[in-house]
Amino acid sequence: MTFPPSIRTSRQPRRGAAVTAVAVTAVAVAVLTLVASVVTAAPASAQQLNLPRKDGSVRFLVLGDAGTGDREQYDVANQMVRYGRVFPFTFAIMLGDNIYGSERPQDFDKKFTRPYKVLLDADVEFHAALGNHDDPNQRYFKPFNLGGNRYRTFKKGNVRFFVIDSNYLDPAQVKWLEKELDASGSDWKIAYFHHPLYTTARRGPEVELRAILEPLFVKHGVDVVFTGHEHIYERLQPQQGIHYFTVGGAAKLRKGDTRPGPLIAARYDRDRSFLLAEVAGDSLYFQTINRKGATVDRGIVARREVRK
Amino acid sequence: MLRTVSFRRWALIGSGAIAAATAGCDKPESKPPADPTKQVFDAFASRLDNYVKVRKTLTDSIGALDPTTSQAEITTRATGLATALIAARSQAKPGDIFTPEVATILATLIKQEYSRRPEPVQETRDDQQDELPDFVPQVNQVYPTTYPLATFPATLLPLLPPLPEYLEYRVVQHYLVLRDVEANVIVDVMPNAVPT
Repeated sequence: MTFPPSIRTSRQPRRGAAVTAVAVTAVAVAVLTLVASVVTAAPASAQQLNLPRKDGSVRFLVLGDAGTGDREQYDVANQMVRYGRVFPFTFAIMLGDNIYGSERPQDFDKKFTRPYKVLLDADVEFHAALGNHDDPNQRYFKPFNLGGNRYRTFKKGNVRFFVIDSNYLDPAQVKWLEKELDASGSDWKIAYFHHPLYTTARRGPEVELRAILEPLFVKHGVDVVFTGHEHIYERLQPQQGIHYFTVGGAAKLRKGDTRPGPLIAARYDRDRSFLLAEVAGDSLYFQTINRKGATVDRGIVARREVRK
Repeated sequence: MLRTVSFRRWALIGSGAIAAATAGCDKPESKPPADPTKQVFDAFASRLDNYVKVRKTLTDSIGALDPTTSQAEITTRATGLATALIAARSQAKPGDIFTPEVATILATLIKQEYSRRPEPVQETRDDQQDELPDFVPQVNQVYPTTYPLATFPATLLPLLPPLPEYLEYRVVQHYLVLRDVEANVIVDVMPNAVPT
């Protein structure tokens, strides 16, 4: 996967730009708002990057609640591309709410294909989980790599990912998860899904899901859990040895929605954000970046087996 | 095809629910049937099986959906299946699958489960419903695609009878909804199923 040397990506015009166009018809306004301007995004500098870029490492992008089609989604996508120039990741994990609102073909274009065109053209794979705003038929959309399933597992290097459908955690899915966790051996284990098991945000944690999932995660040594749903960024103090991240602000934002407290290791709710991750040996390095390209959190997670 | 999960477990759960529901009723002593709840759940499974047969006839002609890069293809297939299902079940009405007999048992199960949940769980479920607009689900209605699907309470799901592939339960306000996932069509509704 290579990012082009000159990064050009489409961008939505500012909302409301057409409001003053009194003389134009409603149709013309609609057309105007869909016209994408082209901007050039300069690559992030190596100094801005806090990831080691070790040989043979597994590098990926984490984004949640992205599919609005609004200007903010395109802004964040531009930053992903900028950082992709200095940190070439090969795949992205999507934490649900991949497409908000209607899901017509033109919506997939506006809310997925166009904002991430540069990444898609660079052969970045997107591996989606389903959110509460997603039609489960998204599992048939090939670029989301669900393979017709609502939940699945896949492996990259020494990392095993578990994609869970937290909207409908039926007994069949729980049984499948336990079987797959059991079979996953000594790989890194990263689970991701839409609803956070812990959060300080307004809607609160999904304690029912936690009651079912966390014992399985603990028993089978899951290292890291990524979720979305809350439109903020949070990194929790490890809970029963598991590192939980909420990365739900790749397009939507609930400003000021996180609260400090003993649960929280880091939080960011002033703008949109996404996360870059690199797994090298027994360490997972992460860097969280906002819509302006500034780093809002970074750190290293040690593999659970090693921590023991 | 129905999942090969025995209904016996759910029949046992339901027996307890019926016992609770009828406790205190002033009826003359009579020997009850061996397992009335099992009969009710067997009949429920049979009605689901009938739905699956109708559906299969339609999907055989429409064709299965494989992963595709074309969202238009996915939309066309879902819309086609929905239209065919609605036409094939044009006489369907509330309670055809959630008959009063099974509805009584399910409502009792759900009520019991809700009464056991701790307060944080109650708050979570209230929040899930808050995301839904004021929407009254109806049989043969296409679930509005612009609305989110409220997350189904994870600890309630194992207590309900299993469903065939492509069908799922959903909660919309006080309704328990039976939804065809691929067609996005509401197959049946059960009002007053969920405490609000």
